[in-house]
Amino acid sequence: MKFGNVQLPELPSLGLFRDRSTGKILMAIGLGWLTIFFIIPVFVLLFESLNFGSGSLFENYSTALSSTYTRTLGRTLAYALVTTIVCLTLGYWISYYIAFKAKRQMLMLGFILLPLWIAIIIRYFGVSLFFLPTGPVQQLFGTDFGVLFSTTGVIVGLTAALLPFAILPIFNSLQSIDEELINSSKVLGATPLHTLRTVVFPLSLSGVIASALFVYILAAGSFLAPALLGGPGDFMMANVIEQSFSYSIPLAAALSVVFTGALLILIGIFNHYANISEVLSDL
Amino acid sequence: MTKLTTRLVFYPAIVLVYSILLIPLVIVIATSLTVQSAPTLPTDGVTLDWYVSLFENQRLIDAMVVSTIVASATAVVAGIVGTITAFGFVRSEVRMKETLATIMLLPLMISPVISGVAFLRFGSLLPIPRGYPQIVLAHSILALPFVFLIVRSRLLTFDERLEDASVIMGANRLETTFNVTIPIIAPAMIAGMLIAFVISFGEFTATQFLVTPSTTTVPIIIFNQIQTGLSPEISALATTLVILMVIVSVTGDQIGG
Repeated sequence: MKFGNVQLPELPSLGLFRDRSTGKILMAIGLGWLTIFFIIPVFVLLFESLNFGSGSLFENYSTALSSTYTRTLGRTLAYALVTTIVCLTLGYWISYYIAFKAKRQMLMLGFILLPLWIAIIIRYFGVSLFFLPTGPVQQLFGTDFGVLFSTTGVIVGLTAALLPFAILPIFNSLQSIDEELINSSKVLGATPLHTLRTVVFPLSLSGVIASALFVYILAAGSFLAPALLGGPGDFMMANVIEQSFSYSIPLAAALSVVFTGALLILIGIFNHYANISEVLSDL
Repeated sequence: MTKLTTRLVFYPAIVLVYSILLIPLVIVIATSLTVQSAPTLPTDGVTLDWYVSLFENQRLIDAMVVSTIVASATAVVAGIVGTITAFGFVRSEVRMKETLATIMLLPLMISPVISGVAFLRFGSLLPIPRGYPQIVLAHSILALPFVFLIVRSRLLTFDERLEDASVIMGANRLETTFNVTIPIIAPAMIAGMLIAFVISFGEFTATQFLVTPSTTTVPIIIFNQIQTGLSPEISALATTLVILMVIVSVTGDQIGG
């Protein structure tokens, strides 16, 4: 703190004027709200998945773990993985350009953020109009490449929906790299590719991990992409849960538990290597 | 790298990324102007007829009203709870704070289809009325992590000595809160509320379990129409939403800085 030309000692924050317990009360309100309206409902579902009538307690789980449903679970995790790989590849490529080469950074970022404001169902609707038999792809190429109502359709849709979530954390991490490090690498004679591999990429790893986590979780939980853009064989867990809910709530509950359990195990493994809360605060 | 190689290396990425992000929006807007009865590109003339029929369709108008009410209420609830929580996290020292913060983000990590089912079952156990109360509560939970993250990151740069100064000058805690604290965090809070509004307005997956005939939201209508038969009217409806959301985001940018 400066006063005229006199350097004054830094004053300590007068925390004594503030009651420190207030923070804890506010925190408890937020966590309590979340517990009542989210965590307890999820536990209600867990309770409903168990069979308290006649027969085995885990009856619904033996159905939920039968081959039909484990195949859907496998498909869900696989589709999410493919989407993540596509999104990270495109995301890193464009982020690198915007961070280091682009002249109109803000404009380019703005167009990446814009779709986030538009309801996801509208964006999927646009993707399906694009590949429709009466759509521009058909008009332009004379064929629609069979994208719509296929696995490719689901992946294209998920990529279009989740790409901004892949780009933002990667761009942030690239942006915060000290350019002097890149210049030194060049001056010392490294090729651009060598600089990318040994300097830039390792420094951007936290952003890449954040992107991967985001995209993977959101892709795996998607209901609309398979429903609007996939074929009958492309149903993912969210679709199967929705479908089973109409004829057996306990089965839908058991499927929800299995699916959430599988994802939480994956997140747990991930959390072992990188702290999720830190990663997500990059958002 | 020469300019030419930069172009050769990066132009494919630029074309691919911006095509996949923007073509769907452009197509939706373009097909709303077609003169044909299917949503095709308007190659043989443009018309605004579909907007006229949109605004004559009472079901769609009703859904717009419902969505606006739900999204506004969600913005208020998520805005208040999210801000309170963010304050709590920044202003207190407890053990396992990082773990608790991760718990606040759970609604992001659990598929909305599960949130929807869970909320419907829970709502039938507790006397939470169907319709608006259930939908708004569910939406505000889904939007909560975003409000929490935005307000928290703003609060981390908050200079608490401003509050001390206010107290020293003789203001009581209530006056300090309303004259110092809230004006400083208002932009973050408004940005969080606008995001909550947008999330609520576009949410389909959890909402499909909670709507009633009199509280059907716009995304539900769009989904049903896509499944039953495509008409340029859906494009017109979707375009109206795109315009609305762009206005909301630009307003938010003006206020939030």
